Amino acid sequence: MWRTVRGHLVLAVLGLLCVFPIYWLYATSLREPGDILSLNPLPWPLSVENYTDAASKIDMLGLLRNTMIVALFTAFGQLLTGLLAAYAFAAWKFPFQRVLFLLFVGTWLVPFQVTMLPNYVLLFQMGMLNTLAGVVIPNLCSALGVLMLRQHLDSFPKELLEASRMDGRSSWTTLWTVVVPNLRPALAALAILLFVNAWNEYFWPAMVLQRNNAVLQLGLRSFMGSEGNDWGPLMAVAGLACLPVFVLYLVLQRHIVNAFVRSGLK
Amino acid sequence: MFVEIPAPVKLAAPTAGKPSVVRRASRALPPYLYLAPALALLVIWTYRPLVQTAQLSFYSWNLLPTQPMLPAGLDNYRRLLELPELGQSVTRTFVVIAGLLPFTIVIPVLVGLLTKQIGGRARNFYQGLVFAPMLVAPVASAAVWRWLLDPGAGVANRVLGTGNNWINEAATANPSIILITGWHLVGFAVLVVSAGLSNISGDYAEAAQLDGATRWQITRWITLPLLSPTLVFLVLMTVLLSAQWTFPLIDTLTQGGPADATTNIYYLLWDYSFHSFDAGLGAAAGMLFFIGFGLVAAVLVWLSERLTFHDN
Repeated sequence: MWRTVRGHLVLAVLGLLCVFPIYWLYATSLREPGDILSLNPLPWPLSVENYTDAASKIDMLGLLRNTMIVALFTAFGQLLTGLLAAYAFAAWKFPFQRVLFLLFVGTWLVPFQVTMLPNYVLLFQMGMLNTLAGVVIPNLCSALGVLMLRQHLDSFPKELLEASRMDGRSSWTTLWTVVVPNLRPALAALAILLFVNAWNEYFWPAMVLQRNNAVLQLGLRSFMGSEGNDWGPLMAVAGLACLPVFVLYLVLQRHIVNAFVRSGLK
Repeated sequence: MFVEIPAPVKLAAPTAGKPSVVRRASRALPPYLYLAPALALLVIWTYRPLVQTAQLSFYSWNLLPTQPMLPAGLDNYRRLLELPELGQSVTRTFVVIAGLLPFTIVIPVLVGLLTKQIGGRARNFYQGLVFAPMLVAPVASAAVWRWLLDPGAGVANRVLGTGNNWINEAATANPSIILITGWHLVGFAVLVVSAGLSNISGDYAEAAQLDGATRWQITRWITLPLLSPTLVFLVLMTVLLSAQWTFPLIDTLTQGGPADATTNIYYLLWDYSFHSFDAGLGAAAGMLFFIGFGLVAAVLVWLSERLTFHDN
């Protein structure tokens, strides 16, 4: 009995500590401008003035749209290249299989900071600096996606693939009519994970979009620079930058948590 | 549905007496074709730049396309090792990693052990709360923490009754970065540990209890050893994630300051390449970093194979 109470207590305290900054972010953003400094835990009376104020200073809708485009294309591209590669590893045995697989695993060991300079130069030569395509294209392959899908495909019953081949279906048809329908939950979980990561990505957009700050994370950063201590509107922008991910989280909490824990790495 | 046309080709293949070269190739080809897009991206955006960074580290270049790259031999490495900043930033990197271990190992293990009894919906609810910081974009987190830690109006100072400028004073800047990063990661680590704990079969503890083992003995000699693979994994995660999470926080909150107090190796690399426009030096630092990173990972993988007890 005492142990259960203690368990609840520990988790509740930790949960509160974890959520408090997020709560405070939204609470501040919803206070009336005159109440910003209030320590009252409840933001009352509510006001959206900080949001309208922020919207007049920064192109929120444009930033949301750009970030959505980047995150959707990145997640979709990573899902597709990951699916094809994982299918190759799981359905065939071929020369150099192990070496090629290690190439994917090895990307963990190549920190971003090591490759950024040559990549930056290449994007410059391709004329893709300061474009959304320049943010998306270098990120179209995610080793994480390949590894996770390969795990799922390895436990996929080989008899189904075999049966499909006996039916005379090509490997391409088999992929889309047998593998993908059975893999849907795993694909969905991975898609969410990749979307969240792409949405929150900072390093690469910060390099590519140095001139126009066209995605939310960068817009927020430049807003922090220019309106530094204008806490109300700043919290409103920060709140909006997190909102789509939190909405996803409220709807799909279990799936998101499982996807992250299973993937291990971000 | 209507895509049954390729069938005859496939069926014909095994009956052919001598598979021609073309046919053999066409049968060996599919896996490589499926791999091609991912592999091409990997080569272009990860391994090509890695090789180029290695080359660049032997040249002197200021990033301007109009300027020639001049061969510099081992000069960049020599200059790098002579810089006092490098040693300091490496030390700071280790401080950050060590400072994160309480958040990614100690707290999660304690919480995991103390809350084994909580299950079902309550557990899901708490986990939902604890995990949320992992989803907060780093820049948004920088914004809200700057507000919480504000010297005048911030909640932290007003609750504690102090007037510290946490983020902009040399003594507290790096601990602040550690705290914020720890806040992001702690929930994730709690979930990983609790998944690890729930994978440990209860039979061992039961058997030990029958033999008269105390609760602490069971924890010390059964639970923790069986949990060690998870813990080694979490150490590796801490090393990898510290790079990823601290960089945006430092870039938006302190820019490596005050007086370099938060310049760790990840920030230093960025600084060399894009602020000092010294590409050769940046590349040399990158290569040393890459090698160091590989060594740390290799040691951890080796450790996990030596130390872990497998639950068969």
